[in-house]
Amino acid sequence: MKKMPIYSFLLLVLLLALWEMAAGTMSELVLPAPSIIWFTLLDGMKSGYFTQHIIRTALEVLLGLLFGGTLGFVIGILMGEVTFLRKLLFPYIIASQAVPKLALAPLFILWFGFGMTSKVVITALVCFFPLLESTVTAIQSSDKQKQELFRMLGATRFQTLIHLKIPAGMPGILAGLRVSAVLAVVGAVVGEFIGGSEGLGALIIASQGMMDTPLMFATLILLTVMGMILYLMITWFEKKWLKPYKKEK
Amino acid sequence: MSFLTIEDVTYSYQGKNPVLHQVNWEIKKGEFHCLLGKSGCGKTTLLKLAAGLLQSDKGSIRLQGSEVVKPSPECGFVFQSPNLLEWKTVIDNVLLPITLKRKITEEDRRQALELLELVGLASYYDRYPLQLSGGQQSRVAIVRSLVQKPSLLFMDEPFSALDAITREELQDDLLRMCNMHNMTVLFITHDISEAVYLSDVVGVMAQGEIVYQSTVELERPRKMEMRYDSYFNEFCLTLRQVMGGEHS
Repeated sequence: MKKMPIYSFLLLVLLLALWEMAAGTMSELVLPAPSIIWFTLLDGMKSGYFTQHIIRTALEVLLGLLFGGTLGFVIGILMGEVTFLRKLLFPYIIASQAVPKLALAPLFILWFGFGMTSKVVITALVCFFPLLESTVTAIQSSDKQKQELFRMLGATRFQTLIHLKIPAGMPGILAGLRVSAVLAVVGAVVGEFIGGSEGLGALIIASQGMMDTPLMFATLILLTVMGMILYLMITWFEKKWLKPYKKEK
Repeated sequence: MSFLTIEDVTYSYQGKNPVLHQVNWEIKKGEFHCLLGKSGCGKTTLLKLAAGLLQSDKGSIRLQGSEVVKPSPECGFVFQSPNLLEWKTVIDNVLLPITLKRKITEEDRRQALELLELVGLASYYDRYPLQLSGGQQSRVAIVRSLVQKPSLLFMDEPFSALDAITREELQDDLLRMCNMHNMTVLFITHDISEAVYLSDVVGVMAQGEIVYQSTVELERPRKMEMRYDSYFNEFCLTLRQVMGGEHS
């Protein structure tokens, strides 16, 4: 199994070669060859054409994740702790889960304008639910015997939350964060599709208008890389944080 | 003068048949008491009542003359499972009871390390619980319950998941530490020889009542050989007969 990364890489090379061959028989408008996409990407990076778009989208993703995630976490804790709140809000949470959040994007553009705010709001909304749900579950499912231990030690409710329920629920909460991070990129791009002139999503729409398919592919690659970096960062953080939770010698 | 008094205590879960029925028990300062019983006889419930984790329906429980209504900081509790926090190191787990009260001082850390030294785990202080064996985890749990120097210790079958030899080692560790701090202990178990080896007084519970009580006439400190002498074995046999009826 040690050689698996090499095989994965060889598969990539093979796929790219096939693609290159297939692209030779087709119009560049339909399927541009990997080499052409690569040069478009390189040119755009060198000339700084992509820079502002990358920054814009990254900012939207991070801000959306920050606001949506924080809100989901805090409300998740409150709902996990206070039975009254949980019973009061749960029907609404279920209802709002059923709403396709991305379909609300046009409405937010109407409310918040074509600027960055509307995209951050959409991204935040998309990030909110996975984290909310994982936090509520994590807080509620903490070990009853450990809770008894904290009662025996005379801990207050707040201390039990800080020292027991949140750290004990961390694996679940971080899993929710990982889902949120992936969805955040989707949220930001869809927001940019609908309105706006800046950001990688807007760039895809623009390249469609210009019939510049290589540019579209180059942008897709940038988005993929962005999503992967975010995902890897969270996985790395998860690994570091959750080390003591796993058995090892 | 008795230290912990349990008087006519009755308890039932949600108004169903009582789990405990008019239980009386008395522990004097510095004594080690064991309650023996089969699963489901109500011994854990009694322990939780005595610790203030549950409230009795009738009767009274007094610690040094004052009624127990909630867990007292003077009492330690060791649970059936070690119950350590996986994300904290051994030393932080031991210091948890103090962390919840105030800031940790150098002196606290030194004392915690000293206690860990007594059970041979001082060099493991920066490990995480899941890196330890079951016996080591149980030792950490005991040290944690002792770090606040409680005058009374409640133990709920703390060694039941361990192998026989490890259990004997832990019993000796426990007796040594109790002796050092002149601690009063109420210990719950279903292991007859464990009860006899550890305690000054043994009680047997069945169906929510205490059916038998006897003093163990063995010298302290207890030694391994005592487990095999005739007094010890006869005592065990008597308890066995009280617990299970002769036919089984």
